[in-house]
Amino acid sequence: MIIEEISVKSFRSHADTTVRFSDKVNAVCGPNGAGKTNLLEAIHYLCLTKSFLTSSDTYALRQGDPYFEVRGTINMSTRSSADVRIAYVPGEGKSAFVNGAPLEKLSEIVGRFPIVVLAPDDHALTSGGPEERRRWIDNILSQAHPLYLADLLTYRRALKQRNAILRRMRGQGTPGTRVLDSWTDKIVEIGSRIATRRAHFMDDFAPFLDRAYGTIEAVAERPHIQYQTFAPPDKRLDLGGVTEAFRERLERTSAREREQGRTLVGPHRDELVFRLDDMEVRRYASQGQHRTFAVALKVGQYFYMTDVNDEPPVFLLDDVLDNLDPSRRQAILSLLLSDKIGQSIITASDERLFDSVVDFSSHHHSLVPVHRAAPAELAE
Amino acid sequence: MSYTSESVENLVEQLTKLPTIGRKTAQRLAAYILKMSRVDVVQIADALVAVKDKVTFCTICSNVTDHDPCRICSSPKRDHSIVCVVEETSDVVALERTNEFRGVYHVLGGAISPLDGIGPEDLRIRELIERIANGDPVAAPNDDNGSHAASANGTTVAEPHSSDAQIKEIILAMNPNVEGDTTSYYISQLVKPFGVRVTRIARGLPIGGDLEYADEATLSRALEDRLVVDTDA
Ligand SMILES: [Zn+2]
Repeated sequence: MIIEEISVKSFRSHADTTVRFSDKVNAVCGPNGAGKTNLLEAIHYLCLTKSFLTSSDTYALRQGDPYFEVRGTINMSTRSSADVRIAYVPGEGKSAFVNGAPLEKLSEIVGRFPIVVLAPDDHALTSGGPEERRRWIDNILSQAHPLYLADLLTYRRALKQRNAILRRMRGQGTPGTRVLDSWTDKIVEIGSRIATRRAHFMDDFAPFLDRAYGTIEAVAERPHIQYQTFAPPDKRLDLGGVTEAFRERLERTSAREREQGRTLVGPHRDELVFRLDDMEVRRYASQGQHRTFAVALKVGQYFYMTDVNDEPPVFLLDDVLDNLDPSRRQAILSLLLSDKIGQSIITASDERLFDSVVDFSSHHHSLVPVHRAAPAELAE
Repeated sequence: MSYTSESVENLVEQLTKLPTIGRKTAQRLAAYILKMSRVDVVQIADALVAVKDKVTFCTICSNVTDHDPCRICSSPKRDHSIVCVVEETSDVVALERTNEFRGVYHVLGGAISPLDGIGPEDLRIRELIERIANGDPVAAPNDDNGSHAASANGTTVAEPHSSDAQIKEIILAMNPNVEGDTTSYYISQLVKPFGVRVTRIARGLPIGGDLEYADEATLSRALEDRLVVDTDA
């Protein structure tokens, strides 16, 4: 997939900006605060209908403007081309259009235009709480398997409903256990599918992660992800076994969840444990190992999604090069120039980071300067 | 935007109480209403008040009606042994438009949604169970309401064999979302002891649509609900 051009209107600091990209390496350079990252954020909106920086759309709206709009021309490797438009009006919400046709649900767009983002926040993947790792696995699986996203949205809704009953039951003893049972049935049905899919993913993803790690760092240590869920390891791969285990665990915790007024078992409590050989990354890894692991997760994600979707995603790298030591930076840039990666769009404060590595005189690569003073006059 | 007229401002305010009407749309509607003739505006206003004053709910199926029981429940031409359970009155209208369904309805008045504070006791689920336990009042030969059936075209009550009184099938036609699914499940569990046949409408692809344009969730549900093709023709 290649993003040929994007236009943003009233988006963050951009009043009206249009940028064209080349099909390989694109370096978006300029001083801090000029709106480089916001261009990546706009692409994120275009492909996944939301930001990777904030969960509230109002923050992305340029101050004082009535609405924002992001538009892009995207070419797929199948030679088809799409004009995608996302608009947000405060109070009315977001709408998405592909080739002029409105989409009934925003979620329909997810997976059609695959992207992978590598950003400074990724350090939370290896050092933060389990919700960071669940968000990562959900991002991959939602883009790779559209049904996964549908299940995830249904599960979240059913979980909220079930928790609402549990809260009420905590207040009033035990009325209507039959209603609770109905919602239990729903979360077991959907939650088991989610957990099974995640477990399968762990097996499928292992070789891609291995390859990614080896690309960035020439060491003997091997990365590994262990998936911890409600089902014991031996039952994981079979939907029937997972379903049975989910039901069983819910029954065992039923007294406790009534006390606490929320659902205590399910894929919403899953954890991924990252390891280098036998060492748990979160607790014992060095700063450098943390960084390499996070980069490897995203590069591995890129490899995996290319393989599953048969369509190379666009790789967005936000301010990562500045924070890497020269040898890792060199490894990343070589990777981006290789045929393993399609189009990449990279923000950096200093264009000299690309010196003598990326040849911007080639039409495959572009240097996109962003200026603080006049973001509207971006280079074509 | 604020108006120089308080009446217009009030109208906009009132219109935003309706679902799917945001402030912008309300302003557009208000501007249009200002340009309409007085007669047309009065017709709309009267219609709004009339639905509140005249319309009641059918004591059998809970559908909206001007006369109780409703046209469908009192019709001898309908099959009173098949009851289609729906969430809202508008669903009855949609199903009736097909002109295919010859059974009767039961309107629940929504779906179970704890987040919105809607439990089974807020829906007409108990009434449905009573209907199943007691048989359909109109078709039941010994029921007083039976006289209602002998209206319109002069035909009398449905054929008198006793099995007609008994509900044989419940068709669950809830909305295809998580609340609808869960309500279906809840009702099916309640109905189980009565030994009534319980079916659910199929979920699948729109007719005339292209398979390639269907979203994945719809396609997968359509696959789940697939039917056996008869090859013995
Ligand atoms: Zn009726």
